Amino acid sequence: MNDENTGAGGTMSSSRLAQFEAEVAKLKVTGGGANPERLGSRWGIGLTIVGFVVAVIAWFSAKDSADVNTILRSEIFAFIGVGIAVVGIVIWVRNSLTRYMRYWIIRLVYEQREQTEQLIQALRDNK
Amino acid sequence: MTSAVAASPARDASSGVPVLQLAAVRAGYGRIDVLHGIDLDLRPGEVFALLGPNGAGKSTTLAVSSGQITPTSGGLFLCGRDVTGVSPDALARAGVCLIPEGRGIFPNLTVAENLRMATYTGRAYHHVLDLAFAQFPRLGERRKQTAGTLSGGEQQMLSMARALATEPAVLLIDELSMGLAPIIVEELYDHVRRIAASGLSILIVEQFAHEILGLADRAGIMLHGRLLHTGPPASIADELADAYLGADHAAPRVDSSQ
Repeated sequence: MNDENTGAGGTMSSSRLAQFEAEVAKLKVTGGGANPERLGSRWGIGLTIVGFVVAVIAWFSAKDSADVNTILRSEIFAFIGVGIAVVGIVIWVRNSLTRYMRYWIIRLVYEQREQTEQLIQALRDNK
Repeated sequence: MTSAVAASPARDASSGVPVLQLAAVRAGYGRIDVLHGIDLDLRPGEVFALLGPNGAGKSTTLAVSSGQITPTSGGLFLCGRDVTGVSPDALARAGVCLIPEGRGIFPNLTVAENLRMATYTGRAYHHVLDLAFAQFPRLGERRKQTAGTLSGGEQQMLSMARALATEPAVLLIDELSMGLAPIIVEELYDHVRRIAASGLSILIVEQFAHEILGLADRAGIMLHGRLLHTGPPASIADELADAYLGADHAAPRVDSSQ
């Protein structure tokens, strides 16, 4: 049908092609992952585990020490650990919710479409 | 992936830079890979027909091409630029338009309201309506009718009109003929023929080859997530029966015309 690189009518209009190339050049390439929410959830779980491990180590360190400075340092580490765990939980919840909402909205769209089609079919049958 | 402009691996001086290219694309849903290394290029002004039985991975190929699915490996290139991972709405605004399987219209909105959805590219509403009704006058007569109450063919026309109103550079069409009577399919393909004559690059997916091979410049057969053969439609027609009946399990073959 369209012989490539031929003249008028044969290829996409050169101005449209040039415009397309310009639009493509403007695109911000982020290199998004195949499943960003899953990756986010994994990071969340990982951070939570790391945070709890840090807090537990700090707790044992404080427990076995009589030195006030060591206990204070361990306490700071424990707080940092708990902070990391909280951030991890937030990341995990955020990504899990996004994932759930995505499926939920797709399901809603399909259900609504299905119901509309059933309604139209019922109206047609009653004609 | 970097933001740098990456050269397309199949850049070919003799045929020009493909408007759209998939390079060694593997993709799927969750842990299930559907595409196992697809290499495909669509040249400017070309109509490429992608054929194959149910479950071959044709629709997934279109989903990757439109940015709806990000490949797990390999890349999506537009005019030679690596755009892997770019969001589907950004690709749509740039000019890659998908007409999905099952029409993809909003059944409880009117024809005019459905066409209003095409204004996302920044085109004025009246301009979108003028374009759509000029190409599909029947839709103009039904502009206030709820889209779900249109016939199957008219719904498909609405889907095409909405896509064309965005003045795309690359049109991806998924199973245009699905669930439609042969006479309607013929009418729709007349529209596609006219669109193709205007020089738009079209990647069209079909399960049944009769109509589409008549208007394609090149075609390819997909099977089990692999592009088995590509080449002129005449050569593909001979391979189709074997591919559909599972008689051909040979290694992927690419026609020298590529």
